[in-house]
Amino acid sequence: MSPGASVEERHAEVKTAPSQEAAAPAAVLEARDLNLFYGSFQALKNVAVAIPPRTITAFIGPSGCGKSTILRTFNRMNDLIPGVKITGQVLLYGRDIYAPKTDLATLRKRVGMVFQRPNPFPISAFENVAYGPRVHHTARGSDLAGIVEKSLRATALWEDLKDKLDLPALALSPEQQQRLCISRLLAVEPEILLMDEPCSALDPIATARIEEMIQELRKTYSIVIVTHNMQQAARVSSVTAYFLLGEMVEFGPTGQIFTSPRDPRTEQYITGRFG
Amino acid sequence: MERHFDEELNTLKERLLRMGAIAEEMIQKAIKALRERNEKVTQEVFESEKIVNQMHVEIDDRCLKLIALHQPMAADLRLITAAMKINSDLERIADQAVNACQTCFYHLFKETPVPQISMITQMAEISQKMLRDSLDAFSRRDVDLAEKVLDQDEEEDRLKAQALTSLIELLKKDPSRSAQYVDLILLSRNMERIGDHATNVAEDVIFMVQGKDIRHHLDTAPQ
Repeated sequence: MSPGASVEERHAEVKTAPSQEAAAPAAVLEARDLNLFYGSFQALKNVAVAIPPRTITAFIGPSGCGKSTILRTFNRMNDLIPGVKITGQVLLYGRDIYAPKTDLATLRKRVGMVFQRPNPFPISAFENVAYGPRVHHTARGSDLAGIVEKSLRATALWEDLKDKLDLPALALSPEQQQRLCISRLLAVEPEILLMDEPCSALDPIATARIEEMIQELRKTYSIVIVTHNMQQAARVSSVTAYFLLGEMVEFGPTGQIFTSPRDPRTEQYITGRFG
Repeated sequence: MERHFDEELNTLKERLLRMGAIAEEMIQKAIKALRERNEKVTQEVFESEKIVNQMHVEIDDRCLKLIALHQPMAADLRLITAAMKINSDLERIADQAVNACQTCFYHLFKETPVPQISMITQMAEISQKMLRDSLDAFSRRDVDLAEKVLDQDEEEDRLKAQALTSLIELLKKDPSRSAQYVDLILLSRNMERIGDHATNVAEDVIFMVQGKDIRHHLDTAPQ
């Protein structure tokens, strides 16, 4: 039983313990024995991690620990870097995304990524969100307007923008731009959202609002968030993985990781004695 | 890496241990007062209570500020929450010592001495040792010692039950001293409660060190 569990969780665990194994839903995304080399530098070492469905999973660790690298392996963004060598498997609903026949456009539609700095296209807000469905030919005409509205509503941007959808995306505030980028992902109906420091370019108020939005999105999507901000990981995630020097040191319920981590290296990092 | 925060945590520990030492002395004095029928010593206990009450508030305030300003995690968080709980237990222990002194005034100081006060002094010795050991365990982060405190609590409970049975018998046999016997029952309750609070401290120490919550044996509940 996890020492960090609340009394309710304890009771729940006691009650559900016998069937826990069987009841645990399969991982949406799973890394198995994953190694990644940038030339001769090994950035990931035998990483095994399973991302649970409709949950926010946080990856934490000091700079250079591999947390962003592993996030990028989840939709094969590292393929773009010369000299990268990857061994092991990344399974999306049980199928290896590094298998030769994988279609990268489809993969990145299913597994979308949000970056540190908002990166809207230099076109209107509407066109940013409509872009995905257009290129994937999933909608047009009034359907497209419906998708744009739905996607903007999901990130709480619709009320702000409904009368000025023609506004250039780059004229929006940084927070609105980040929401817009997330709406742009949602428009192509992804299953998993990867977020690489999504709030690091935002002020604390905007950060709090984006965190609220992420919590809402969790009801529909499986989310993996990389963050330097441990308080953020503690606030938003349900499970947390701690990375150090390319290794995944510890993976567990966020409540347990932040109250009673099992590995002394995790303890050192999250109490600020190291890193 | 030595953190500035560690200095503040050390101060917190020192304050708590200081408060614990005062509470321990209060038990000792309450028993001395009982043995020697010494009213002056009870006054010292009442004075000490004022200090303990001030420290109770001060330590809670210290903990709240550490949480608000440092957002502690893991071992730090466990230390501070344990300190808050231990703080409450120490305050309650001091109250029990005060309560015991007050009880002595009703009849024990005034009427012919009864030999059965030894039942109480025996329990007091165990309570005092339990408190001292639990505070040492806190200070040294010593889980083995904390576990010994839990064992001592069983002995204390056994003595309490024994005292109760004997005192009820005596009440029946010698009603002329019934008031004193009732007071001794009250005192046995005070001593037992002190042992219970010391047990809480020991359990908090185990949680603080290992992150393992052993209270109410929920951790060993059948799965």
